[in-house]
Amino acid sequence: MSDKDHSSTDDPTLVRAAQRGNMAAFEELVARHRDKIYARAVSMMRNEEEAIDLSQEAWVKAWQRLKQFQGEASFGTWMTRIVINLCLDQLRKQKRQRTESIEEMNEESGGVERQMPVVTVNPTAGLERRELRQRIDQALNQLSYEHRTVLVLHQFEEMEYKQIAKTMGCSIGTVMSRLFYARRKLAALLADLKKSGER
Amino acid sequence: MDYDAQLKLQAYLDGELPEAEAREVANWLAQDREAIALFAELRNTRQALVGLEVGVTLPESREFFWSKIEREIRRQEQLGPPARSVPFFSAWRRWLVPAGAVAAAALAVLVGLSGGSGVSLVETAVADPAAFTYHDFSTGTTLVWFSYPADDELADNTPAATVQ
Repeated sequence: MSDKDHSSTDDPTLVRAAQRGNMAAFEELVARHRDKIYARAVSMMRNEEEAIDLSQEAWVKAWQRLKQFQGEASFGTWMTRIVINLCLDQLRKQKRQRTESIEEMNEESGGVERQMPVVTVNPTAGLERRELRQRIDQALNQLSYEHRTVLVLHQFEEMEYKQIAKTMGCSIGTVMSRLFYARRKLAALLADLKKSGER
Repeated sequence: MDYDAQLKLQAYLDGELPEAEAREVANWLAQDREAIALFAELRNTRQALVGLEVGVTLPESREFFWSKIEREIRRQEQLGPPARSVPFFSAWRRWLVPAGAVAAAALAVLVGLSGGSGVSLVETAVADPAAFTYHDFSTGTTLVWFSYPADDELADNTPAATVQ
Protein backbone atom coordinates (compact mmCIF):
# COMPACT_ATOMS: atom_id res chain seq x y z
CA MET A 1 0.00 0.00 0.00
CA SER A 2 1.41 3.41 -0.93
CA ASP A 3 1.72 6.17 1.62
CA LYS A 4 -0.78 8.46 -0.14
CA ASP A 5 -4.52 8.74 -0.57
CA HIS A 6 -6.09 6.13 1.65
CA SER A 7 -9.49 7.78 1.50
CA SER A 8 -11.10 4.95 -0.47
CA THR A 9 -9.50 2.12 1.54
CA ASP A 10 -11.61 0.26 4.07
CA ASP A 11 -10.78 0.15 7.79
CA PRO A 12 -9.51 -3.46 8.00
CA THR A 13 -7.03 -2.81 5.16
CA LEU A 14 -5.87 0.40 6.80
CA VAL A 15 -5.48 -1.39 10.13
CA ARG A 16 -3.34 -4.12 8.54
CA ALA A 17 -1.17 -1.49 6.86
CA ALA A 18 -0.83 0.45 10.12
CA GLN A 19 0.08 -2.77 11.95
CA ARG A 20 2.99 -3.09 9.53
CA GLY A 21 4.09 0.42 10.55
CA ASN A 22 2.40 2.51 7.86
CA MET A 23 1.71 5.82 9.61
CA ALA A 24 -0.16 7.31 6.67
CA ALA A 25 -2.71 4.50 6.99
CA PHE A 26 -2.99 5.20 10.71
CA GLU A 27 -3.47 8.90 10.02
CA GLU A 28 -6.42 8.03 7.80
CA LEU A 29 -7.92 5.94 10.61
CA VAL A 30 -7.47 8.88 12.99
CA ALA A 31 -9.15 11.22 10.52
CA ARG A 32 -12.11 8.85 10.12
CA HIS A 33 -12.79 8.13 13.77
CA ARG A 34 -11.47 11.17 15.62
CA ASP A 35 -14.85 12.91 15.98
CA LYS A 36 -16.53 9.84 17.44
CA ILE A 37 -13.67 9.28 19.87
CA TYR A 38 -13.72 12.92 20.89
CA ALA A 39 -17.52 12.92 21.28
CA ARG A 40 -17.30 9.92 23.61
CA ALA A 41 -14.61 11.64 25.67
CA VAL A 42 -16.74 14.80 25.89
CA SER A 43 -19.77 12.79 27.03
CA MET A 44 -17.74 11.24 29.82
CA MET A 45 -15.53 14.14 30.89
CA ARG A 46 -17.90 17.10 30.29
CA ASN A 47 -14.82 19.19 29.53
CA GLU A 48 -13.59 19.93 26.01
CA GLU A 49 -9.91 20.46 26.86
CA GLU A 50 -9.67 17.20 28.77
CA ALA A 51 -11.59 15.43 26.03
CA ILE A 52 -9.09 16.64 23.40
CA ASP A 53 -6.12 15.53 25.52
CA LEU A 54 -7.62 12.14 26.31
CA SER A 55 -8.65 11.44 22.75
CA GLN A 56 -5.10 12.30 21.63
CA GLU A 57 -3.71 9.96 24.29
CA ALA A 58 -6.09 7.25 23.12
CA TRP A 59 -4.72 7.50 19.57
CA VAL A 60 -1.13 7.27 20.78
CA LYS A 61 -2.01 4.20 22.85
CA ALA A 62 -3.85 2.69 19.89
CA TRP A 63 -0.74 3.01 17.73
CA GLN A 64 1.38 1.35 20.42
CA ARG A 65 -1.08 -1.52 20.85
CA LEU A 66 -2.18 -1.90 17.28
CA LYS A 67 -0.58 -5.33 17.00
CA GLN A 68 -2.92 -6.54 19.76
CA PHE A 69 -5.96 -5.64 17.69
CA GLN A 70 -7.19 -8.89 16.17
CA GLY A 71 -10.31 -7.55 14.48
CA GLU A 72 -12.79 -9.30 16.79
CA ALA A 73 -14.66 -6.02 17.09
CA SER A 74 -14.60 -3.16 14.60
CA PHE A 75 -11.67 -0.77 14.79
CA GLY A 76 -14.06 2.01 15.88
CA THR A 77 -15.35 -0.10 18.77
CA TRP A 78 -11.80 -1.01 19.82
CA MET A 79 -10.86 2.66 19.79
CA THR A 80 -13.86 3.79 21.81
CA ARG A 81 -13.04 1.17 24.46
CA ILE A 82 -9.55 2.62 24.73
CA VAL A 83 -10.80 6.17 25.19
CA ILE A 84 -13.49 5.02 27.65
CA ASN A 85 -10.87 3.31 29.80
CA LEU A 86 -8.64 6.38 29.72
CA CYS A 87 -11.55 8.60 30.70
CA LEU A 88 -12.50 6.24 33.53
CA ASP A 89 -8.92 6.27 34.85
CA GLN A 90 -8.88 10.05 34.73
CA LEU A 91 -12.27 10.40 36.42
CA ARG A 92 -11.22 8.01 39.19
CA LYS A 93 -8.05 10.02 39.75
CA GLN A 94 -10.05 13.23 39.93
CA LYS A 95 -12.50 11.67 42.35
CA ARG A 96 -9.71 10.57 44.66
CA GLN A 97 -8.44 14.16 44.71
CA ARG A 98 -11.66 15.67 46.00
CA THR A 99 -13.96 14.94 48.86
CA GLU A 100 -17.24 13.33 48.02
CA SER A 101 -20.18 15.64 48.41
CA ILE A 102 -23.09 14.61 50.59
CA GLU A 103 -25.21 14.29 47.47
CA GLU A 104 -22.80 11.83 45.94
CA MET A 105 -22.83 9.76 49.11
CA ASN A 106 -26.61 9.70 48.96
CA GLU A 107 -26.45 8.64 45.34
CA GLU A 108 -24.07 5.84 46.12
CA SER A 109 -26.12 4.56 49.03
CA GLY A 110 -29.22 4.66 46.84
CA GLY A 111 -32.76 5.48 47.80
CA VAL A 112 -32.96 9.13 46.78
CA GLU A 113 -34.42 8.25 43.40
CA ARG A 114 -37.20 6.27 45.03
CA GLN A 115 -38.65 9.42 46.55
CA MET A 116 -38.52 11.48 43.38
CA PRO A 117 -41.97 12.20 41.95
CA VAL A 118 -42.53 10.75 38.50
CA VAL A 119 -42.19 13.34 35.72
CA THR A 120 -45.49 12.86 33.95
CA VAL A 121 -45.00 15.36 31.13
CA ASN A 122 -42.14 14.71 28.71
CA PRO A 123 -39.82 17.65 29.48
CA THR A 124 -38.09 17.46 26.13
CA ALA A 125 -41.18 17.35 23.94
CA GLY A 126 -41.26 20.05 21.27
CA LEU A 127 -37.71 21.24 21.85
CA GLU A 128 -35.37 22.09 18.99
CA ARG A 129 -32.39 19.73 18.74
CA ARG A 130 -29.95 22.48 19.77
CA GLU A 131 -31.98 23.48 22.79
CA LEU A 132 -32.49 19.88 23.78
CA ARG A 133 -28.74 19.24 23.57
CA GLN A 134 -28.08 22.31 25.70
CA ARG A 135 -30.49 21.19 28.39
CA ILE A 136 -29.24 17.65 28.45
CA ASP A 137 -25.67 18.90 28.66
CA GLN A 138 -26.63 21.02 31.65
CA ALA A 139 -28.35 18.09 33.31
CA LEU A 140 -25.51 15.64 32.60
CA ASN A 141 -23.06 18.07 34.17
CA GLN A 142 -24.93 17.70 37.43
CA LEU A 143 -24.58 13.94 37.62
CA SER A 144 -21.66 12.27 39.36
CA TYR A 145 -19.19 10.60 37.02
CA GLU A 146 -20.34 7.11 38.02
CA HIS A 147 -23.95 7.84 37.06
CA ARG A 148 -23.02 9.68 33.91
CA THR A 149 -20.64 6.91 32.83
CA VAL A 150 -23.24 4.19 33.26
CA LEU A 151 -25.64 6.26 31.19
CA VAL A 152 -23.04 6.90 28.47
CA LEU A 153 -21.94 3.28 28.28
CA HIS A 154 -25.51 2.05 28.09
CA GLN A 155 -26.92 4.69 25.82
CA PHE A 156 -24.08 5.49 23.42
CA GLU A 157 -21.85 2.45 23.63
CA GLU A 158 -24.93 0.19 23.74
CA MET A 159 -23.36 -2.02 26.37
CA GLU A 160 -25.41 -4.53 28.30
CA TYR A 161 -25.55 -4.31 32.10
CA LYS A 162 -23.01 -7.14 32.35
CA GLN A 163 -20.47 -5.39 30.12
CA ILE A 164 -20.89 -2.10 31.99
CA ALA A 165 -20.31 -3.88 35.30
CA LYS A 166 -17.10 -5.39 33.92
CA THR A 167 -15.86 -2.09 32.51
CA MET A 168 -16.58 -0.16 35.69
CA GLY A 169 -15.51 -2.90 38.07
CA CYS A 170 -18.80 -3.10 39.96
CA SER A 171 -21.77 -5.47 40.28
CA ILE A 172 -24.70 -5.68 37.87
CA GLY A 173 -26.95 -4.56 40.74
CA THR A 174 -24.87 -1.40 41.13
CA VAL A 175 -25.11 -0.75 37.39
CA MET A 176 -28.90 -1.08 37.55
CA SER A 177 -29.14 1.26 40.55
CA ARG A 178 -26.83 3.83 39.00
CA LEU A 179 -28.64 3.76 35.69
CA PHE A 180 -31.99 4.11 37.43
CA TYR A 181 -30.78 7.00 39.53
CA ALA A 182 -29.15 8.70 36.53
CA ARG A 183 -32.32 8.48 34.46
CA ARG A 184 -34.60 9.63 37.23
CA LYS A 185 -32.33 12.49 38.17
CA LEU A 186 -31.98 13.49 34.54
CA ALA A 187 -35.76 13.50 34.12
CA ALA A 188 -36.15 15.69 37.20
CA LEU A 189 -33.42 18.08 36.07
CA LEU A 190 -34.90 18.35 32.58
CA ALA A 191 -38.31 19.05 34.10
CA ASP A 192 -36.79 21.82 36.24
CA LEU A 193 -35.05 23.30 33.22
CA LYS A 194 -38.33 23.21 31.30
CA LYS A 195 -40.12 25.06 34.13
CA SER A 196 -37.39 27.68 34.39
CA GLY A 197 -37.43 28.09 30.59
CA GLU A 198 -41.17 28.74 30.65
CA ARG A 199 -40.92 31.48 33.24
CA MET B 1 -43.99 -0.08 44.06
CA ASP B 2 -40.84 -1.39 45.71
CA TYR B 3 -37.33 -0.71 44.49
CA ASP B 4 -36.81 -4.17 42.99
CA ALA B 5 -39.96 -3.72 40.94
CA GLN B 6 -38.73 -0.34 39.73
CA LEU B 7 -35.41 -1.83 38.64
CA LYS B 8 -37.21 -4.69 36.93
CA LEU B 9 -39.28 -2.16 35.00
CA GLN B 10 -36.08 -0.50 33.84
CA ALA B 11 -34.54 -3.86 32.88
CA TYR B 12 -37.67 -4.54 30.83
CA LEU B 13 -37.23 -1.22 29.03
CA ASP B 14 -33.60 -2.08 28.30
CA GLY B 15 -34.41 -5.57 27.03
CA GLU B 16 -32.40 -7.18 29.83
CA LEU B 17 -35.10 -9.51 31.15
CA PRO B 18 -35.51 -13.15 30.17
CA GLU B 19 -38.62 -13.84 28.10
CA ALA B 20 -40.77 -15.20 30.92
CA GLU B 21 -40.04 -12.27 33.21
CA ALA B 22 -40.53 -9.81 30.37
CA ARG B 23 -44.03 -11.25 29.83
CA GLU B 24 -44.82 -10.82 33.52
CA VAL B 25 -43.74 -7.19 33.45
CA ALA B 26 -45.73 -6.55 30.28
CA ASN B 27 -48.85 -7.89 32.01
CA TRP B 28 -48.15 -5.82 35.08
CA LEU B 29 -47.67 -2.71 32.92
CA ALA B 30 -51.09 -3.22 31.39
CA GLN B 31 -52.75 -2.87 34.78
CA ASP B 32 -50.68 -0.62 37.04
CA ARG B 33 -50.94 3.15 36.44
CA GLU B 34 -47.97 3.91 38.68
CA ALA B 35 -45.83 1.48 36.68
CA ILE B 36 -47.06 2.99 33.41
CA ALA B 37 -46.07 6.49 34.54
CA LEU B 38 -42.62 5.44 35.68
CA PHE B 39 -42.06 3.42 32.53
CA ALA B 40 -43.01 6.42 30.39
CA GLU B 41 -40.59 8.65 32.29
CA LEU B 42 -37.70 6.21 31.86
CA ARG B 43 -38.49 5.77 28.18
CA ASN B 44 -38.69 9.53 27.57
CA THR B 45 -35.33 10.07 29.23
CA ARG B 46 -33.76 7.34 27.18
CA GLN B 47 -35.29 8.79 24.02
CA ALA B 48 -34.03 12.29 24.84
CA LEU B 49 -30.44 11.04 24.78
CA VAL B 50 -30.68 9.44 21.34
CA GLY B 51 -28.29 11.08 18.91
CA LEU B 52 -26.80 13.39 21.52
CA GLU B 53 -23.25 12.68 20.32
CA VAL B 54 -24.15 13.13 16.67
CA GLY B 55 -22.62 16.30 15.26
CA VAL B 56 -20.02 16.66 18.01
CA THR B 57 -16.75 17.41 16.21
CA LEU B 58 -13.20 17.81 17.39
CA PRO B 59 -12.43 21.55 17.36
CA GLU B 60 -8.97 21.06 15.80
CA SER B 61 -7.96 20.65 12.18
CA ARG B 62 -7.02 17.23 10.86
CA GLU B 63 -3.42 18.32 10.28
CA PHE B 64 -2.95 19.93 13.68
CA PHE B 65 -4.49 17.05 15.62
CA TRP B 66 -2.46 14.47 13.71
CA SER B 67 0.75 16.45 14.15
CA LYS B 68 0.30 16.28 17.94
CA ILE B 69 -0.33 12.53 17.82
CA GLU B 70 2.60 11.88 15.52
CA ARG B 71 4.94 13.97 17.66
CA GLU B 72 3.89 12.09 20.79
CA ILE B 73 4.30 8.71 19.09
CA ARG B 74 7.84 9.66 17.96
CA ARG B 75 8.70 11.02 21.40
CA GLN B 76 7.57 7.85 23.14
CA GLU B 77 9.39 5.67 20.61
CA GLN B 78 12.60 7.55 21.36
CA LEU B 79 12.10 6.95 25.07
CA GLY B 80 11.72 3.24 24.42
CA PRO B 81 9.45 0.82 26.29
CA PRO B 82 9.20 1.39 30.03
CA ALA B 83 11.60 -0.80 32.01
CA ARG B 84 9.83 -3.47 34.02
CA SER B 85 11.02 -3.56 37.57
CA VAL B 86 11.69 -7.04 38.90
CA PRO B 87 10.82 -7.52 42.57
CA PHE B 88 13.79 -8.40 44.81
CA PHE B 89 12.48 -11.85 45.70
CA SER B 90 11.83 -12.72 42.05
CA ALA B 91 15.32 -11.66 40.99
CA TRP B 92 16.83 -13.66 43.84
CA ARG B 93 14.72 -16.69 42.98
CA ARG B 94 15.82 -16.55 39.36
CA TRP B 95 19.35 -17.34 40.50
CA LEU B 96 18.37 -19.61 43.35
CA VAL B 97 16.27 -22.02 41.32
CA PRO B 98 18.93 -23.14 38.81
CA ALA B 99 21.54 -23.14 41.58
CA GLY B 100 19.26 -25.41 43.61
CA ALA B 101 18.81 -27.71 40.64
CA VAL B 102 22.58 -28.00 40.21
CA ALA B 103 23.00 -28.65 43.95
CA ALA B 104 20.32 -31.35 43.85
CA ALA B 105 21.97 -33.02 40.90
CA ALA B 106 25.32 -32.96 42.71
CA LEU B 107 23.70 -34.41 45.80
CA ALA B 108 22.17 -37.20 43.76
CA VAL B 109 25.55 -38.05 42.24
CA LEU B 110 27.15 -38.05 45.71
CA VAL B 111 24.48 -40.35 47.06
CA GLY B 112 25.08 -42.69 44.15
CA LEU B 113 28.87 -42.67 44.63
CA SER B 114 28.64 -43.28 48.37
CA GLY B 115 27.23 -46.72 47.60
CA GLY B 116 23.70 -46.18 48.73
CA SER B 117 21.57 -49.21 48.07
CA GLY B 118 18.72 -47.14 46.60
CA VAL B 119 18.60 -46.17 42.95
CA SER B 120 18.28 -42.49 42.12
CA LEU B 121 18.08 -40.59 38.88
CA VAL B 122 18.36 -36.94 37.81
CA GLU B 123 16.93 -36.07 34.45
CA THR B 124 15.66 -33.20 32.34
CA ALA B 125 12.38 -33.56 30.56
CA VAL B 126 12.50 -33.57 26.76
CA ALA B 127 9.35 -31.49 26.60
CA ASP B 128 10.81 -28.90 28.98
CA PRO B 129 14.61 -28.81 29.15
CA ALA B 130 14.44 -26.12 31.82
CA ALA B 131 12.80 -28.54 34.28
CA PHE B 132 14.97 -30.88 36.37
CA THR B 133 13.54 -34.00 37.96
CA TYR B 134 15.18 -35.98 40.78
CA HIS B 135 13.84 -39.49 41.57
CA ASP B 136 14.93 -41.44 44.61
CA PHE B 137 13.36 -44.86 44.13
CA SER B 138 14.41 -46.13 47.56
CA THR B 139 12.30 -43.55 49.35
CA GLY B 140 9.82 -43.01 46.58
CA THR B 141 10.73 -39.31 46.37
CA THR B 142 10.41 -37.14 43.26
CA LEU B 143 11.52 -33.51 43.17
CA VAL B 144 11.05 -31.16 40.22
CA TRP B 145 12.84 -27.78 39.74
CA PHE B 146 11.95 -25.18 37.15
CA SER B 147 14.69 -22.80 36.12
CA TYR B 148 12.36 -20.18 34.71
CA PRO B 149 10.27 -17.55 36.50
CA ALA B 150 6.85 -18.34 37.88
CA ASP B 151 3.75 -17.33 35.93
CA ASP B 152 3.05 -14.38 38.23
CA GLU B 153 6.36 -12.82 37.24
CA LEU B 154 5.42 -13.00 33.60
CA ALA B 155 1.88 -11.70 34.04
CA ASP B 156 1.11 -9.09 31.46
CA ASN B 157 0.43 -5.76 33.04
CA THR B 158 -1.40 -4.48 30.00
CA PRO B 159 -4.24 -2.26 31.25
CA ALA B 160 -7.89 -2.89 30.52
CA ALA B 161 -7.71 -0.54 27.56
CA THR B 162 -6.78 -3.48 25.39
CA VAL B 163 -10.28 -4.89 25.65
CA GLN B 164 -11.61 -5.73 22.23
